[in-house]
Amino acid sequence: MREIVLATRNITKRYPGVVALNRFSIDFHKGEVHALLGENGAGKSTLIKIIAGAVQADDGTIEINGKSFRKLDPLHAKNNGIEVIYQEFNLVNSLSVAENICLGERHGKFVDPAWMAKKASDVFARMGVDIDPHALISELPTSRQQLVEIAKAVSKDAKILIMDEPSAPLSVSEVDKLFQIIKTLKESGVTVIYISHRMDEIFEISDRVTVMRDGLYVDTLETAKTDRKSLIQRMVGREISDTYPAKRCDIGEVVLEINGLTGNGDADVSFRLHRGEILGLAGLIGAGRTELARMIYGADKSESGEIIVKGQRVKIHLPSDAIRHGIGLIPEDRKQQGCFLEKPIAWNATIANLRKISRGILLDRKREKEQAEHYVGLFSIKTPSIQQLVKNLSGGNQQKVVLAKTLATNSDILIFDEPTRGIDVGAKQEIYELMVKLSSEGKAILMITSDMAELLGMSDRIIVLSGGRLTGELKKEEFSQVRVLELASNLR
Amino acid sequence: MKTINKDKIVALLKKYVIFFVLIGLMILFSILTPYFLTVQNITNIFVQQSYVIIAAVGLAFVMIGGGMDLSIGWQMSLVGVVTATLMKNVGLPVPVAVLIGCMLGVVLGLFNGFMAITLKVHPLIVTLGTLTAYQGLSYIAANQSVILNLPPSFKYLGQGYVLGFIPVGVILMLIVVGTGSFILNKTYFGRYVYANGSNEEAAHLAGIDVRKTRLMIFALCGFFVALASMVLFARTGSAAPSTGPGTEFTCMTAAVLGGVSFKGGEGKMWGVVTGVLILGILSNGMQLIGMGTYAQFIVRGGVLLAAVGFDTYQKASAAKVKKMV
Repeated sequence: MREIVLATRNITKRYPGVVALNRFSIDFHKGEVHALLGENGAGKSTLIKIIAGAVQADDGTIEINGKSFRKLDPLHAKNNGIEVIYQEFNLVNSLSVAENICLGERHGKFVDPAWMAKKASDVFARMGVDIDPHALISELPTSRQQLVEIAKAVSKDAKILIMDEPSAPLSVSEVDKLFQIIKTLKESGVTVIYISHRMDEIFEISDRVTVMRDGLYVDTLETAKTDRKSLIQRMVGREISDTYPAKRCDIGEVVLEINGLTGNGDADVSFRLHRGEILGLAGLIGAGRTELARMIYGADKSESGEIIVKGQRVKIHLPSDAIRHGIGLIPEDRKQQGCFLEKPIAWNATIANLRKISRGILLDRKREKEQAEHYVGLFSIKTPSIQQLVKNLSGGNQQKVVLAKTLATNSDILIFDEPTRGIDVGAKQEIYELMVKLSSEGKAILMITSDMAELLGMSDRIIVLSGGRLTGELKKEEFSQVRVLELASNLR
Repeated sequence: MKTINKDKIVALLKKYVIFFVLIGLMILFSILTPYFLTVQNITNIFVQQSYVIIAAVGLAFVMIGGGMDLSIGWQMSLVGVVTATLMKNVGLPVPVAVLIGCMLGVVLGLFNGFMAITLKVHPLIVTLGTLTAYQGLSYIAANQSVILNLPPSFKYLGQGYVLGFIPVGVILMLIVVGTGSFILNKTYFGRYVYANGSNEEAAHLAGIDVRKTRLMIFALCGFFVALASMVLFARTGSAAPSTGPGTEFTCMTAAVLGGVSFKGGEGKMWGVVTGVLILGILSNGMQLIGMGTYAQFIVRGGVLLAAVGFDTYQKASAAKVKKMV
């Protein structure tokens, strides 16, 4: 049995409405590369945040080299040799490579550039990379910045190095380089916890792999003795217990046709959306789903490709163009993109079609009130009055206000981006019922979701994006979590 | 229930606190000096502050829309000097010169907005740049001299009276405040201004052309600032490039005092007017009781800090209440 350097024992972490980690126990050995695998929302990020001391567990303990901790703070974690490389870099752009590596350390009374440069080149030599210690971070490409991040962690004498999707910003040859570095680190006894959505990377670099699902520990396997299929089976082994409202109506003619849409990180995406249909758009985080939605809606620019609405080719440069052609977007981030939190419901519900319900340039308070009250009634938005500020509503009711705002523009092609994120179970059900009702009325819905159960339960058809490209389409009878995940992790 | 009551009280307090401050100041100065509460003095305050209020209305649009304009002082200077030159040196009729001056204001405002959009930089930074450029233009236009003896029909804008006792500047001010308030509260464009300042991304996704809105806001601001410039230069009776600068900070102070949020999306016209009047009464009253100019600066600064502090305190306590629920 190998030496255990880090372990969690029955860690539980609850967030409002969801248990992110449930009595989670795991062991990490000295000098191993241990991959964590799981769907979006399986609890990987929460786990590494708890290990790094960035968030505190509600229950359970963390053991580092046999010492047991109830709570860790970031400084504590660092002192115990735990370093994390997050997806977002923590580098100071205006400082040099060496200054970043030595950030927070003191050598003598004054700043000592020679010492810093030496320390940086020592680390780079250990890693076998060649970066000028005097270069500014802002001058380096993302992939090199990533290496500086790693060097920073290595220079702190990390015993346990956690990497969250480290290959995301890297090209193929750079990933090879990264793997060499990981191997070097491993030989010097560093434990690497490696998180990636990319299955083949996990097979290439890891010694063991732990599968997580819905905040639960599923299994730890020796990578050499398993295969892709059995990993995916363990990732999805959940029963879909939620119930979804039944449909309703026949799927009609094509209302939206996307041909070869390219730009915003997506390439050559083509699909069709029909009247009365709920089309699920699946993919892992970073697959380019939101980017695609924003291009169709005119919120971001596309480079090429065509958008055909009800048989007519349309040019969409701005969201107002999309709205004019009957396309509506319910954005991913309700609070930042969907509503005006400091403004009343009536204000929010009428802002998208305000010009239409005004008399010339003048606001028509009566019509505004009628429209707001109509939607408050229709969606049963729970509020004492339409003058209530949206920030005082619950997440589900906020989402209904966003929906009201969008529907008021008479859109019949609706793009829902993560329609139920951060919404409690009861309100989720209401949103589902609304979506089914809308599609039964002949609206066409494109639904982006990272919730597998929701995807399989709500969609009539599913298309899958991976790395900005469409990797497959599933008809209702072909639906399975395994198939979706296979298509979603298609790349590399 | 309790929290709703508390919210309401907080909201009311917040809404009317600057009114109380204004009235409190008036009472204070009435007690301190017999010269304060006279028809003559109050008229003076309004005449002196009318151009500030007009410019502050323009700035309020920019600030509520989520922007900032540091250049309005030098815009006023440039517009005033150019208008005076057109009247005195080129010999254009007064109405034509005034009209061209106002159009110049719109152009200067549009330029600010255009630069903010194309450079994708916060208007605060953009107008920091344009204010310097406008300063240079103003000195060049004035040819380093002061244009004296502006035509009487022009001076009427700042010195004349309607019906023998209502100053023309004050009437213009009332028209501008009324128009500003009307645009902000009664038109869909006004709603767009709030939307832009409140959450630009959400406004963009709601189909509002945020760039066009920003341009229009700056154009409007430039127009009001040009009007302010006319009133100021007409009152002065002569045109020097040094007339106008400094107004931007008075207006900003007044706007913040009056509840216009620095982050945008919040603010009312009457608040801005009250803010200007508080500052005006402060300096007038302190002058009457014989406090030096420098002491006045300290008090003005203190009042602004107190107002902002009060605002933050309100928001913090409101947030606390919410957390406890």
